[in-house]
Amino acid sequence: MLQARALSKSFGGVRAVHEVTLAVPEKMIYALIGPNGAGKSTLLNLLSGIYQPDAGELTFRGENLIGLPAYRRARLGIARTFQKIRLFKQLSLLENVRAGFHIHQDAPLWRYLVRGGSDRYDAEARELLQFVGLGERMHERAGALAYGQQRMLEIARALATRPRLFMLDEPAAGLNAAEVDFLLQRLVDVSRRGITLLVVEHNMDLVMNVAQRVFVMDHGVPLYEGTPREVQANRAVVAAYLGGEFAA
Amino acid sequence: MLVAAAPWLITTPYWRGILVLCAMNVLLALSLNLVMGYTGQLNLGQSAFYAIGAYVSTILIKTYHWNFWLAAPAAIIAAGFLGLALAAFAVRLRGHYLAIASLGFAVITYQVLVNWESVTEGVRGIYGILPPVGNTLGLFYLIAGIALLVYLAMDNLVRSPVGDTLRAIREDEISAAALGVNGALWKAFAFGVGAAIAGLAGCFYPGFVGTLVPDAFNIVESFTMLAMVIVGGMGTMLGPVIGAIVLTFLPELLRGFGELRLMIYGVALTLVVLFLPGGIASCFKRAR
Repeated sequence: MLQARALSKSFGGVRAVHEVTLAVPEKMIYALIGPNGAGKSTLLNLLSGIYQPDAGELTFRGENLIGLPAYRRARLGIARTFQKIRLFKQLSLLENVRAGFHIHQDAPLWRYLVRGGSDRYDAEARELLQFVGLGERMHERAGALAYGQQRMLEIARALATRPRLFMLDEPAAGLNAAEVDFLLQRLVDVSRRGITLLVVEHNMDLVMNVAQRVFVMDHGVPLYEGTPREVQANRAVVAAYLGGEFAA
Repeated sequence: MLVAAAPWLITTPYWRGILVLCAMNVLLALSLNLVMGYTGQLNLGQSAFYAIGAYVSTILIKTYHWNFWLAAPAAIIAAGFLGLALAAFAVRLRGHYLAIASLGFAVITYQVLVNWESVTEGVRGIYGILPPVGNTLGLFYLIAGIALLVYLAMDNLVRSPVGDTLRAIREDEISAAALGVNGALWKAFAFGVGAAIAGLAGCFYPGFVGTLVPDAFNIVESFTMLAMVIVGGMGTMLGPVIGAIVLTFLPELLRGFGELRLMIYGVALTLVVLFLPGGIASCFKRAR
């Protein structure tokens, strides 16, 4: 579904991502892991169009993504969340999710001038808020939510674009155990709807229990790719995480 | 209702003139609010579009003998296109950088009006401009009616999905892009529409005053609009209307204080910003 070949990106002299080749198959939960500074978030920014790569190829369902800005990629069905949560803080929960339907609005402009509010996606937006456990609070300001809830709202907003590929950048970061459980459940639900998930994550529970394939990065380069079980057994991966001396 | 009744409450010609000015200011505040309040683009060049509306319509009428009702749409379109021209820069800049660039844009426009004498008559000004409607009262109803229509249309727009999109850009452009929003396109839309509305207000100004000089569109004018939007309540529909009314009448009511007038005006502005950061409109929200 998503294919990257020899994708590279440097900042100044730092090679944040160097010749990464990966293929995310359709309808899979694909995890991207690696120690801090491995280049995971940079890779995600390259895939979603926030950054453009210095070199390499990138296609999504056969379409070339290189040079395509983020908003055009969203239209092809690529949605994402951010490691540092980026909500529309002054807007209500409902408005946040409604904004996510932007690419599906097709009424001509003049109609909005005459008729104003459109509730075409309101029901669907409410459903999405229900789905992430925030249905009761839809008229509150997004900035007033607790951290874990903000993460869930960001997920609901991204789902409003009706993505084919949904990329999440450390969705479990800062969540407590109960919230991680809820998140896991929801991600599995999303996956069952036929949406491909690409999850950058540190939380090993999440990675080992729900991911079907795991891609490991370190120092900007791919280290290993395999099933969660294979990854756990791989010495190079263990060494990257725990330091060389443990990899006897 | 209150708008319709206003001329009966206020009967002297002088105050009726202020009413006309007030209606134009409401239009200007609405125009800036779309760009600044809803789309979050700090634009200090709004006076330039007001000027373009005034000059293009007047020159078409005086030099080319167009009818006002033909000249006005042409002037509005011209202002709108100039708004798009500013947007071409604006989409690459944000925050303070945009503020400086748009301010520069207003200064350049002002200088063109002063120096392009063969067309604008420069500081000598254009004289003997007739209003589209003969008496002050009629002019007030005309402008107030147009302002009301603009208000209603904009109110619909900001409650529509377009409003959601503009606010999303204001709040966080990167996550808006991740949702498929073409930020440059929608910012250009806001700048273009905002400029066209300011141009619309500009069409009525020369006829009302009777003369046209560049000084009427000094950059101070941009800051006055800014003050109306902020004092009234940025990003609300009613706020800028209230701000425009208050800041049109306040300086006039303070005339009795003579030299102290501007100081009181300044202190009042400071107090509002200090104690009502959401503007006057936020009082109503709180009271509810």
